[in-house]
Amino acid sequence: MAERIGVYVCKCGPNIGDKVDVGTIVNKVRGIKDVAVAKSHNLLCSGDGLKFLKEEIKNEKLSRVVIAACTPKQYEVKFMRACEEAGLNPYLMQMTNIREQCAWVTPDKSAATEKAKSFVIAAINRVSLQESIEKKEIDIQPDVLVVGGGVAGLEACLSLAQKNRKVYLVEKSPCIGGLTARFEEVYPTMECAPCMIAPELQEVLQKENIETFTYSEIEEVVGSFGNFTVKVKKKARYVSEEACIGCDACFEPCPVEVSNEYDEGLSTRKAIYLPFAGSLPNVPVIDEDNCKRFKGEECSICKENCSFDAINFDDEDRIIEKDVGAIILATGSTLFDPKELPQYGYGKYDNVVTAMQLERLNASNGPTGGKIQLKNGKEPKSMAFVYCVGRKEKGYCSGICCMYSLTLAHLVKEKLPGVKMHNFYTDLCLPKKEHQKMYKEAVEKGIEFIRSGENVTVTDEGEKIIVGTNGKKISVDMVVLAPAVEPNVDTEKIAEVLDIPRDDQGFFAEEHTLMKPFATALEGVFVVGSCQGPKDIGDAVAQGGAAAGRILSKLIPGEKLELEAKVSEINEDLCSGCNICIVLCPYSAISRDTEKKISVVDETLCRGCGTCVSACPTGAARAKHFTKEQIFAEIKGVVR
Amino acid sequence: MAKPKVAFYWNASCGGCEEAVIDLNEDILKVVEAVDIVFWPVALDFKKKDVEAMGDGEIAVSFINGAIRTEEQEEMVKLLRKKSGLIVAFGSCSHLGGIPGLANFWDRETIFTRVYKTVPSTANPNGIVPQQKTNVPEGELTLPEFYDTVKTLDQTIDVDYYLPGCAPPPDLIMNAVTAILEGKLPEKGAVLAPEKSLCDTCPRGEKKPEKLSIKEIKRPYEIIPDPEKCFLEEGIICLGPVTRSGCGERCINANMPCRGCFGPTKEVIDQGAKGLSAIASILGVEDEEKMTEEDTKKLIDQIVDPAGLFYMYSLPSSLLKRKRMA
Repeated sequence: MAERIGVYVCKCGPNIGDKVDVGTIVNKVRGIKDVAVAKSHNLLCSGDGLKFLKEEIKNEKLSRVVIAACTPKQYEVKFMRACEEAGLNPYLMQMTNIREQCAWVTPDKSAATEKAKSFVIAAINRVSLQESIEKKEIDIQPDVLVVGGGVAGLEACLSLAQKNRKVYLVEKSPCIGGLTARFEEVYPTMECAPCMIAPELQEVLQKENIETFTYSEIEEVVGSFGNFTVKVKKKARYVSEEACIGCDACFEPCPVEVSNEYDEGLSTRKAIYLPFAGSLPNVPVIDEDNCKRFKGEECSICKENCSFDAINFDDEDRIIEKDVGAIILATGSTLFDPKELPQYGYGKYDNVVTAMQLERLNASNGPTGGKIQLKNGKEPKSMAFVYCVGRKEKGYCSGICCMYSLTLAHLVKEKLPGVKMHNFYTDLCLPKKEHQKMYKEAVEKGIEFIRSGENVTVTDEGEKIIVGTNGKKISVDMVVLAPAVEPNVDTEKIAEVLDIPRDDQGFFAEEHTLMKPFATALEGVFVVGSCQGPKDIGDAVAQGGAAAGRILSKLIPGEKLELEAKVSEINEDLCSGCNICIVLCPYSAISRDTEKKISVVDETLCRGCGTCVSACPTGAARAKHFTKEQIFAEIKGVVR
Repeated sequence: MAKPKVAFYWNASCGGCEEAVIDLNEDILKVVEAVDIVFWPVALDFKKKDVEAMGDGEIAVSFINGAIRTEEQEEMVKLLRKKSGLIVAFGSCSHLGGIPGLANFWDRETIFTRVYKTVPSTANPNGIVPQQKTNVPEGELTLPEFYDTVKTLDQTIDVDYYLPGCAPPPDLIMNAVTAILEGKLPEKGAVLAPEKSLCDTCPRGEKKPEKLSIKEIKRPYEIIPDPEKCFLEEGIICLGPVTRSGCGERCINANMPCRGCFGPTKEVIDQGAKGLSAIASILGVEDEEKMTEEDTKKLIDQIVDPAGLFYMYSLPSSLLKRKRMA
């Protein structure tokens, strides 16, 4: 059957009508092969215009439509829907932009008309070769995996855990709550952090449709948005989460004593331990690396002291498999290690500490029960805060160090009103509505701020520590370093497991910094909180909620997921299995079919970007709706 | 019934395609038994006038190798077209332009200047270059015109089929001859070779990594490639992915990368551009985010003579066709 192409040129009121001779174009294209109708309209996107278009498609029995109007970014969806409503596959419609690209770029009406004419001819050439595309839908799994039990992950869990949806929370450490659980008071509200998050922690642990796996890591992820299968390794805890009541009776008798990483090395813990007082779940863990038993010695003191038979030395790592529709990564961050910069004396002088160490000293659940003290147990009389430690080396401002330092300064000042405090900063980063106030108050309290730049050296003089900058020397009892925020060590491994990109700094890369700050290149995998970049608590929570919202709106229990229609496809008869496309696909949508020895596209992952198509050396990869023939026909229309 | 008549002709070529026919070995006897060779300048003493004397379409098939570089070649192939039922472009040069087609980076003047004047081994104190007409005491001597641009056979005459390769391998030649004799020919314009590219049959395909990335480019003389490994994995540019298979992996088995003599697959318009696009796509792709502009430039600069490399056999048939001379 012969094609019947309808060409509709929109005047967009005076926008196109006054700048382009629409009549000339309509007359010119009428004679082109297969063009059954060519008409102009004053405003095609209006209600009248859309009605007119739908009637035309039906009455003229059109098989293809060209719309010459504004940018497709504006109303293409509207016109596609109109085609669909009129019974025409929307991919048999082609829009060409004669407003932004013709009418608005020159005051010369004849030049604009000439260009618009060639655009319309190009669109007619192209539309003749376009193919109907049917949208595909797949069944989905509404459950969600959240990796990381810090504030961002907690927020995501609680937002997602609803009727008909389970949430699996996987946390690497033995307890949930992330860094926040280890802080005392947090800015800008100066609230007790453990108290603030305690209700959330309890809710997560007790909510029926949240299943929490602490001391666990993700091992393998396969599948795609809507249907991932995840393997979680639940490491042997050697203490039954069901039997243990958290009575602590096992700690005391344990003969092993090692540095406690949860107190930044400021205290010791046993081989069977809770990370810190009040950590949740309230079930200890046996540290295999240090427990005597695992070093081949006979010891079962903890077991002997347990009245609830909760200790099981035969416990083993378990692999748990879960099907989920989406994954939220909330794996957090860590602080730059100041040992890398010897000028700060960290590791060399006892009383040079990091901000996180001061956090623990100040924390009521910390090693000193909240007493801020020097190594010798005495209270410091003077302190120096050094900001921007590692900023130059990392190449970015972490944006939260000024605030956490200021917070600590306030907290110390409250506990030790007499302490003299000097802040060595480069630039103060105080961007939010409450932050400037905290700085002002610090100044009012007599805390000194010295703009030192990064030129700061830390040396000692007897008991004292000397902070030197630009010829100035200040002698203090304690130096607190504010290191930059950097990605957690396992970020790289997780990125590999999921095959998602990281940014130049090593954080998980967001899909679009401004518009999709919590999405990744892999559809259905979201990054929230500080694993995506340094962030304060409020921002991390906001992202956790935002990603949850996105998932809630897309993965609706019982409903199907609509896939991108304009995907790429690989012609089996032409693909020679060179593998070039596989490494290039930004969405990991292409893999090798080892039996057929060719590349195959997973349509649920493909977003139709065309990267494989341009790189494919045999022309086997083809983008639906952007075929070589269509593009060349379009070019010929323009350059004829 | 009379045996079908067959002609062989050569244009701008090296003679390798003639050798390829001889390489049929005993099979040539089968060919000779089945057909009458009526014209084959390299082997048989027939003249142009013998061809001119034939009726239109009298020759069943002419196998024409070599690119079109001179007026004489154009004249001869036009004559053969007239006298032949089928024309088969035989070998890379007539199919794609081939090695002689690389001359399209120059033109007649620059070529003559180089060849007749500036080559160190040339002694030509009077700067004499070939002329189409030269007057001598005995009269006027003429030479055919040497064109500025080398063309493929199908840019000069209508071509029915293509036998690719530098030179076409004996099995493909025999398949083509058999298909012609049996009348089992594919659609006009087909390349008489498999549809997939060389990676499909490459013996190194099995062990190739799923994620190909080139960190450093090596030229074949710089390393001894591991005969088990994909050349791309070793940083040697191989045009196998962008080249039609059917060659019998002769270069690969000799531990040399593919240079593209079989031309592109049917979906590809420009082999060089596709090759460039494919290789460029995997340059440093694994560490892409860590690479600076300078690193990228350094890596790309390791490709010596990219135009000559990617368009080694296909420049005249490409979208570029030739270099535009100033």
